[in-house]
Amino acid sequence: MADLEASKINHENHLLLDQPLLRLPYELLRKNFRSAHFTFEKESTFVKNLLKETATGSLNGRTSPEDVVKNLDIMLTRMRGMKRKLSTYADDENKLYRQLDARVSHLSELSDMHSVEDVKYETWSRKRLDRLLVDYMLRHGHTQSAVSLSTERDMRDLVDIDIFVQMDKIKQSLLDHKVSDALSWCTENKKELRRNGSNLEFMLRCQQYIEMMRTGDQTRMIEAIGHARKYLAPYNDTYPVEVGQMAGLLAYRETTELEPYRSWYHPGRWTDLANIFVEEHNKLLGLPSFPLLHTALSSGLSALKTPACHASHSAQSRNNRLTRATRATRAALSSGGGGGGGGNGGNATVNDPTTTGSSHHSTSSLTTSVCPICSTELNKLARNVPYAHHSKSHVEHDLMLLPNGRVYGKERLEEYAKKSGLPPAGQVKDLVTGDVYTVDKLKKVFIT
Amino acid sequence: MQQFPPARGTGISAQANMSGMESLQHDLARMSRAPRLSAAVDNVDKIIELLSAAREQVAGALDPHTASLTMTKLQNPIKVAFDSVNDNLKEVSSAHKKLGKALDKSFPLKPLPADHDAMEGHEPLIDRAIAMHLLREGQFSVASTFVSEALSDGGSGRYVADVETEMTDHTMDVEDDGDDDLAQEVNITSYTTSPMSPSSSISDGHPLTSLQSDKLQAKFAQMYSILQDLKSRNLVPAIEWARYNSAELEARGSNLEFELSKLQFVWLFKGPQVNGLPDDPFSNGRLGALAYARQHFARFQGRHLREIQQLASAMVFAPNLAASPYNSIFATDDAFTDVAASFTREFCSLLGLSAESPLYIAVTAGALALPRLIKYTTATREKGTAWTTDNELPFETPLPERMLYHSIFVCPVSKEQTTEENPPMMIPCGHVLAKETLTKLCKGTRFKCPYCPSEGQLKDARQIIL
Repeated sequence: MADLEASKINHENHLLLDQPLLRLPYELLRKNFRSAHFTFEKESTFVKNLLKETATGSLNGRTSPEDVVKNLDIMLTRMRGMKRKLSTYADDENKLYRQLDARVSHLSELSDMHSVEDVKYETWSRKRLDRLLVDYMLRHGHTQSAVSLSTERDMRDLVDIDIFVQMDKIKQSLLDHKVSDALSWCTENKKELRRNGSNLEFMLRCQQYIEMMRTGDQTRMIEAIGHARKYLAPYNDTYPVEVGQMAGLLAYRETTELEPYRSWYHPGRWTDLANIFVEEHNKLLGLPSFPLLHTALSSGLSALKTPACHASHSAQSRNNRLTRATRATRAALSSGGGGGGGGNGGNATVNDPTTTGSSHHSTSSLTTSVCPICSTELNKLARNVPYAHHSKSHVEHDLMLLPNGRVYGKERLEEYAKKSGLPPAGQVKDLVTGDVYTVDKLKKVFIT
Repeated sequence: MQQFPPARGTGISAQANMSGMESLQHDLARMSRAPRLSAAVDNVDKIIELLSAAREQVAGALDPHTASLTMTKLQNPIKVAFDSVNDNLKEVSSAHKKLGKALDKSFPLKPLPADHDAMEGHEPLIDRAIAMHLLREGQFSVASTFVSEALSDGGSGRYVADVETEMTDHTMDVEDDGDDDLAQEVNITSYTTSPMSPSSSISDGHPLTSLQSDKLQAKFAQMYSILQDLKSRNLVPAIEWARYNSAELEARGSNLEFELSKLQFVWLFKGPQVNGLPDDPFSNGRLGALAYARQHFARFQGRHLREIQQLASAMVFAPNLAASPYNSIFATDDAFTDVAASFTREFCSLLGLSAESPLYIAVTAGALALPRLIKYTTATREKGTAWTTDNELPFETPLPERMLYHSIFVCPVSKEQTTEENPPMMIPCGHVLAKETLTKLCKGTRFKCPYCPSEGQLKDARQIIL
């Protein structure tokens, strides 16, 4: 495998995971502008009309000077209100531009790096991991964790806490069986939702209706009919089946076993609504439908995984043995008067007969690090993904076969022999089992 | 198993678009002077001023003539002011559009695989991985916030509770998972088939949880405290730790304890001017080093005699070490960094954990492999095959050398990776083939090596462990 090629940073495609980093503030800028524009249109039309009316009224004497003052006061109040709102939007805009600046400069740091072996790349990649973690936390509503991690790492401009907090608030209100927040969100984004063909608002209106029906209370049910006329009937062309079912709901109580009415009454619908909302929300802002960490992990776990990672003799099970041996040796150490070192670890018991004897039987390979897939953190998670495809063998140089069937690189065997204090030349020691053999028992292995 | 064609051409594109992000940065810098909403706010202020002034006039006089005159005169300036606000907004909007174009040009949108989430339903495991990552990074307060938030979020926190159980109690077989995951999945689709049982599993193992992640935290806290001491050139805690764990370290073939002790000797040797330790001739300086060596080096003699002899000979050169052949042994700056790195590696290894955060490695590898994955999913979208359902990825994802942790043997004949079911076999001539290949190659009990003229018998082939 051409390692040089593999560690080269492919600039064009290295930032796939980072697309939302720039897209989101941009979408938010647009959204922020739309809100500002909407406020302006509404308030300016109102003030312009009132001004015109007042002027005409005043000219033809129908409006008294006192009323003119009153109207001017109204206009002033509206304008001050508009100024307040626009100032907030302007502040948000500045913040978004600042975030964009910070993000673009964070991303362009990568342009100077050409290899993943570059020390600067590790710093950059760790920052990316932190960003993905914050994204994951935010999507699960773990706001405190997200805030504390991003503050700790000084990257508040690189993460989107506010928007997710807002989203989580609406989601939670739905899970608490409240529709008002979600409905006003729908109103705010009416146009975009319609363009996306979203049924969220209709579903929310249905839920309102269902909740009224659920009470079984006569007046509330009459109210429900009024609600249906106003809010559900207009959807008759788009969702004829559902509107029909809503009408049918009149005949069934909450306790019905008959479908589809049972499902409509089911409290689990609130979870559905929350999910629909989250989906629409993310779609609207161009956010991926699941956390970026998932994408990164499923691709990364596969790329790293080998058939050996979940084999029955994997590092996991090897570690088990190691730990057991540890306990025994530690106990031996503290009982055998091991000087000033160590704490007061094990009880000074007699050595465990199962682990003494060949104390070196349980090691992982020569001071190599544990494979990340074999490590506790990811081992179970990686069970669900396929292992990487390799078209070429990747083994040590000068492989030697030990009589016990294990194969190691010559260099590593020699080094381990030296470190284990074996006589120079003549003997080697198995890195895993600890068996010692003379060199003439070794066989050369050819990997084609 | 089906044989997959090797992925062709490693780098997807050699001529990397280096200027993409830089040109975007350039565009954005220009945009710092672009029209902003604050301009509109200023113009709204003007409207307010106009209205206030008019109000004052009308209220001051309170006669119809002044009122109508003021109001008539007010019409035009207000209209102009509104128009300029409108212009401000238009400019702001066009600035946004320009930004959008710049984004599209420098950072064109490439859709991520969205139709299939292999991690879905495994959030508890991810939560656990994150908690462990935060702990090993020394982010203890973030970790505890995260654990408590994850725990309050339904039953998922149970896995965080498992961390410690698995860490210490290795008697639990790795195989016995799966059913937990299943229980998690049920939560998602439950209500149509069974009555909702929202978060009924929350209480599982709750009280123990914080305690147990505390244990892992304590371990990493110990690691960081030792590392902190190493940074301030205090080797004693590290040596004590290595001593305490000497059996496992030796079994791993690690020299950590000796390396630390050697450095301690060198450090003492340099004397109080350099090491800042108390100026006591019997515990510091050359004599102190010698005393230290006498006390501690005996137990290393079997394995490190030569190095100990070297250190002793260096004593002779003491007055002028810099010019002696032993100079390099006594350069400590790098030695402290090296020893800290190997300490971290050994410490994590003894916990059964990799030295670098697996989450970090996996995400970095993920970013490196992602372009290939997207290329593949785009190409096969029509066929609707999910890439995660096979045992093996159908395409190659080259990673840098240091991200390969296991030996990989690909049978030169079948081009398949060997597995537990299909292990590598060495035939008498020393060549290695996958077991299945060998079986197919056999004529009766004999076969001919595909790579050399020699022949062999099936019974002479032996399974090897790479």
